[in-house]
Amino acid sequence: MLFGRHKKNLIKIADKEIVDWKYTTCGYCSTGCSIEVGINKEGKAVSSRGAAGADVNRGKLCVKGIFEHELFSTAGRGEEPLYRDSPVEEYKKVNWDFALDTMAEKIKGIQEKYGRDSFAIISTGQILTEEFYTLGKLTRGAIGTNNYDGNTTLCMASAVSGYKRSFGSDGPPGCYDDFEHTDCLLAFGSNLPEQHPIIYWRLKEAMEKRSFPLIVVDPRVTMLAQFADMHLPITPGTDLVLLNSLAHVILDEGLEDADYINASTNDYEAFKALVAEYDPVSASKICGIDEDTIRNVARLYAKAGKAMSIWTMGINQSTHGSDGVVAINNLNLITGNIGKAGGTSLSITGQCNAMGTREWSSCSGLPGYRYLENPEDRKEIADFWGIDEEFFPKKRGLFQTDIFPAIETGQIKGLWLVASNPMSSLPNSERIRKTLQKLDFFVVQDAYSDVESAQYANMYLPASIWAEKNGCFTNTERRVNRITNIQQPYANSKPDLWIFNQLAKRFDHYKTMNFPETSEGVFEEMKQLSKGKHRTLDISGMSYQKIEQQKGIQWPCREGDETGAQRLYTDGKFQTKNGKANLIPLPFIDNNERPDNEFPFWLNTGRVVEHFHTRTRTGKMGNCNKYSPTPYMEMNPDAAADLGVEHQSYVRVVSKRSDAVVMVQLTHRIPYNMVFIPFHFHDCANRLTLGLLDPYSRQPAFKQNAVRIEKIDQQEAAQRNLESRSF
Amino acid sequence: MFQTREEERDYAFLNDKSHQPVNRYGKSIELVSESDPLAGKTLNINGDTFVSDNPNRYKQHGFHFTADNCIGCHACEAACSEKNDNPAHIAFRSVGYVEGGTYPAFKRLNISMACNHCDNPVCLKGCPTRAYTKFAEYGAVLQDPDICFGCGYCTWVCPYNAPQLDPVKGQVSKCNMCVDRLEVGLKPACVSACLGNALNFGVIENTPENRQQAKTEIPGFPRTDITHPNIRFQQTKSLPPEMTRTDSAAVKYHKDQTDGVYKPIVDKNKRAAARKWSLKKLRSREDPLVLFTLISQGVIGAFMLLFLGSLAGVQPLVSAVQSSAYLPMLFIMLGIESFALFISTMHLGKPHRFYRAFNNLKYSPVSREVAGIAMFFNSLLAHTFFSLFDYSITQTLATVFAYAAVITGPIALYFMHKIYRIEARPFWNHHQVLTAFYGNMFTMGTLLTGLVFVPVFIYQGQSVIALLDVLAPGLITGLLIEGLGHMSHTRYLKTRGCEASVSYYEQVTTFGKTYMARNLMLVINILVAGILYIAASESLLVLGVWVMLALSIIVSALVSRALFYVLVIPTTMPGAFFWKNKGFEEHARESGLAQMPQVGVIADVH
Repeated sequence: MLFGRHKKNLIKIADKEIVDWKYTTCGYCSTGCSIEVGINKEGKAVSSRGAAGADVNRGKLCVKGIFEHELFSTAGRGEEPLYRDSPVEEYKKVNWDFALDTMAEKIKGIQEKYGRDSFAIISTGQILTEEFYTLGKLTRGAIGTNNYDGNTTLCMASAVSGYKRSFGSDGPPGCYDDFEHTDCLLAFGSNLPEQHPIIYWRLKEAMEKRSFPLIVVDPRVTMLAQFADMHLPITPGTDLVLLNSLAHVILDEGLEDADYINASTNDYEAFKALVAEYDPVSASKICGIDEDTIRNVARLYAKAGKAMSIWTMGINQSTHGSDGVVAINNLNLITGNIGKAGGTSLSITGQCNAMGTREWSSCSGLPGYRYLENPEDRKEIADFWGIDEEFFPKKRGLFQTDIFPAIETGQIKGLWLVASNPMSSLPNSERIRKTLQKLDFFVVQDAYSDVESAQYANMYLPASIWAEKNGCFTNTERRVNRITNIQQPYANSKPDLWIFNQLAKRFDHYKTMNFPETSEGVFEEMKQLSKGKHRTLDISGMSYQKIEQQKGIQWPCREGDETGAQRLYTDGKFQTKNGKANLIPLPFIDNNERPDNEFPFWLNTGRVVEHFHTRTRTGKMGNCNKYSPTPYMEMNPDAAADLGVEHQSYVRVVSKRSDAVVMVQLTHRIPYNMVFIPFHFHDCANRLTLGLLDPYSRQPAFKQNAVRIEKIDQQEAAQRNLESRSF
Repeated sequence: MFQTREEERDYAFLNDKSHQPVNRYGKSIELVSESDPLAGKTLNINGDTFVSDNPNRYKQHGFHFTADNCIGCHACEAACSEKNDNPAHIAFRSVGYVEGGTYPAFKRLNISMACNHCDNPVCLKGCPTRAYTKFAEYGAVLQDPDICFGCGYCTWVCPYNAPQLDPVKGQVSKCNMCVDRLEVGLKPACVSACLGNALNFGVIENTPENRQQAKTEIPGFPRTDITHPNIRFQQTKSLPPEMTRTDSAAVKYHKDQTDGVYKPIVDKNKRAAARKWSLKKLRSREDPLVLFTLISQGVIGAFMLLFLGSLAGVQPLVSAVQSSAYLPMLFIMLGIESFALFISTMHLGKPHRFYRAFNNLKYSPVSREVAGIAMFFNSLLAHTFFSLFDYSITQTLATVFAYAAVITGPIALYFMHKIYRIEARPFWNHHQVLTAFYGNMFTMGTLLTGLVFVPVFIYQGQSVIALLDVLAPGLITGLLIEGLGHMSHTRYLKTRGCEASVSYYEQVTTFGKTYMARNLMLVINILVAGILYIAASESLLVLGVWVMLALSIIVSALVSRALFYVLVIPTTMPGAFFWKNKGFEEHARESGLAQMPQVGVIADVH
């Protein structure tokens, strides 16, 4: 009271009257932050905070996590199962029995008429690991379709494929603790401050303690690029050339770790012969990074002692995404930077449980990183599940991105989508719109009934969300963490596990199979399948209680282990046949759509921190959504001046696919010949993208497209934009 | 009592081991001694009588922001809004940015800003209701929404856009320094949430661990001499000489070659240089104030003219006051002034708390203006009442109250002008406000008198020329005072630099045609009034021209006053592309996007 009133008034500060904090794990990205949700007297979730004792986030949360308690009451949640004979009719509310009976009957009908694989199932990276395992069991063991994949094909497929090609198995070998030990960090197409702010904070903490070079490869001047010691503004789609050239310099100058190469890698000679073609002078002409910089980075990296690489969608979402990942692995193998503290190839994963689906969903094969192509694996799982091994296909079926073209041309007649929204997330939205209308039977299972893909479905199943359920997620650093049941399922929505189990009952194989009812029961079953001396994915030493106690445990955690292992391949032994990692020669083929006279701009797409995926969640929370409530496009001011385009005006962007209306944000963050549009918004960026597929991972290249910019009547544009935003 | 998390980490705890004796402005950092009667008391947070043993409880605290590190991730804003349970359209802390350079040599500087709990809290001084208190505990400037009546004056005077006026609740709220967390030794929620290691907090002038600077200037942050804000910065990485804003304000920041400080200048790229009318944009939330100020000035002017004129024996005015039309004239003045007071009261967020306007006569020009206007109005009312009777005592009382009215009226207008002399609003902070208000007193006063008494004189067969001869010089004087004020104001705007020059740029571009038209009307009005004065005719044609002139003066005055409100550009923080961008807010309202509450823009603010 230095100034103001003489009599003190009561100070009022918002009090949410929290009576209990409940532990769970964040349901957005793969960082895997531990959250405590505050519950008030009425039992309502009213607050979120980071769990201070958790190693991953150490009490911090990003903007999305801070408001995650609001998720339970977001608009647009599905309340009852809905059904209609045809998508042109109105939905009618139905009960669960009717819905599941009808669904089973339709699946069987389509399979009888067109063959087992004519019904496709596309899942997600969002649901719990136990649910993934059960869905895989239902799909592979009871329904028996081979056209089953996750939407993780859009985000992590290239990392999975690259890891498998290099190391013989999936699984990021490093962890966040590597930041504390590394002497050089190379980030490819990964903008941590925007995409994974908590991982950025862990990096920042490490950098404040100890200085080491941060090198960022990104065509945009992202915050990470701006803060980097070196920023390499690369030409889109040419990372492989840069990586081959880095390897060229290292081998050329004898900077490689010859002992490690000899002891732990295959095919060095073939690799060496290939990278010999990528001298920095030739490479600089393609990738746009000058030869001095290439040499400088190569020397820094090779001489660092402990050097690590991270990457995200800048590598994965390209036509050579898998090759890019392998090339990063190559770089780390020749410098001996795998399996050591501060030396690793760490893919920064996308969805909260992208890892869970990779490990246990059977999308790409059989659970626990087992392969359909491997007869022993088929027999082991068939016996374990109690079915005939001949029921399994001998080779994995179509990837997610190949399932849609198969629907388009009629090979696939039925589709079941689980927590995925291809109407907004897949490239070339108009093609997807056309495709989804060709289905005989289409089920959407999602927490939100207003998810855009549901408009073409026959059936909508309301799923429970996040901590309305109980189970586990695995994060980027292979840490299994617990999602505990904080709130009861909304309305008549049901946990995905319940839905899978109930549907399983309606298939013949259910008689001989066992589908545990509880998540913990499923987890115990997964533990049995994870045991094995040479198996990296071993969770047999974990239990729900132990995971909660330690606020997450990394695998492998073998039976009897106190806790998990931070890193894989520390002994230089890999999951390949001979135990050595593969050095793979990777010739660069430039097959991208490139800007030309008609479409003179690169279109780059990406993420903003306040939104998650197709905004079905964050688009409804004002305190996230308000930072970008409507689509925008970053554009270079010089290019805009030449076209007469003004800041904060609408333009029409046209590609060879279709068009989109966006508001222009002028910034020198991007080059003259490029524009950037966040992908989150429905009927926007993905109307323009081509999404050429990676030959190995079948992941689409979202970030390399060509567009032109046209002026548009401002009122018409505003109206069109408004009509595209139901949330 | 705030509950600390289990296993709370070091970053969340306050850790000031020592402190400077005085801050850079020479003010003691220790606000009161341990033995002071103010010390050792509970803060009474939500009725909790807990008294903290925080050893630095009576020292001025403040934020420290390492601008080099901010990644613009919104965690601070989110943590703040989550803790304070704020809806999307209200934020105690906001992050905006400035950027500069050419790709790829490009730099973006994010700025996270909340309340700076200033040494000189202009919000506290400006608030008419005394909703603000600067506490001895931590030097926190806290505002009580339950006292506030939503006039929004604190949002005008604050250079940092810290107080937030909620159009839905009709009240202001702001950063409370998380004093509940400070009481248990924790840093504020925003600081604890920071993911760039940019935001910090502690005893003011202390440089946090691993930081080298505690300076008061970064590009985009307003000058600190107005309020002596309790915020310190580190910004060591060099930036391009010119940093632009992404929001719609036509402001950018240019590095001064002599002192290296970034100063606000006009960003001509933001607005086409073309002169426009932008008549629709003349309407604003302050529309009621346009009418309130003009009417009050007119009524005061008219009463002074009639009373002082008749007192001086000016014949036409003596006969006006003695005519049977005088009482109706008094009622007209009371009527329109009542209307003016009504709309200005309804303009408050909580009109039913209007009586609180007098609470801060010690500091607030708003309180003083309201008191002045109230005294004038009541004097006029009393004068009118006593003028109804014919006794000598009532006549004496009527005269006494008339004197009271002519004394309080101009004083009220002086304080009305003081309201706008805000350092954080350079467009207003000029004597032109006074010339405009007093000029209008003359102009509108004579106009109002003429509008009533010219018809009366015609009806009564009296000489209209004699009356016009008296009124015209008053009219011309008022217009000249206003005109000269505008000329001086224009010179000031052109040379003042900062946001003043930006307002000037808006004046001659966005409102260029409107502004020129106003100037032209002012000149024409003066010339026509002069010609009519010299012509001294009461032909129907001349009277017709007088009527046209009256209309022209009214239109010109309305446009002029509307421009006064819409052209002001405060020394606020830079916004982001959507959030805290006035241009986007306008677009969201016009396009209908604001109908979705999650857009964070209130659809209707009028």
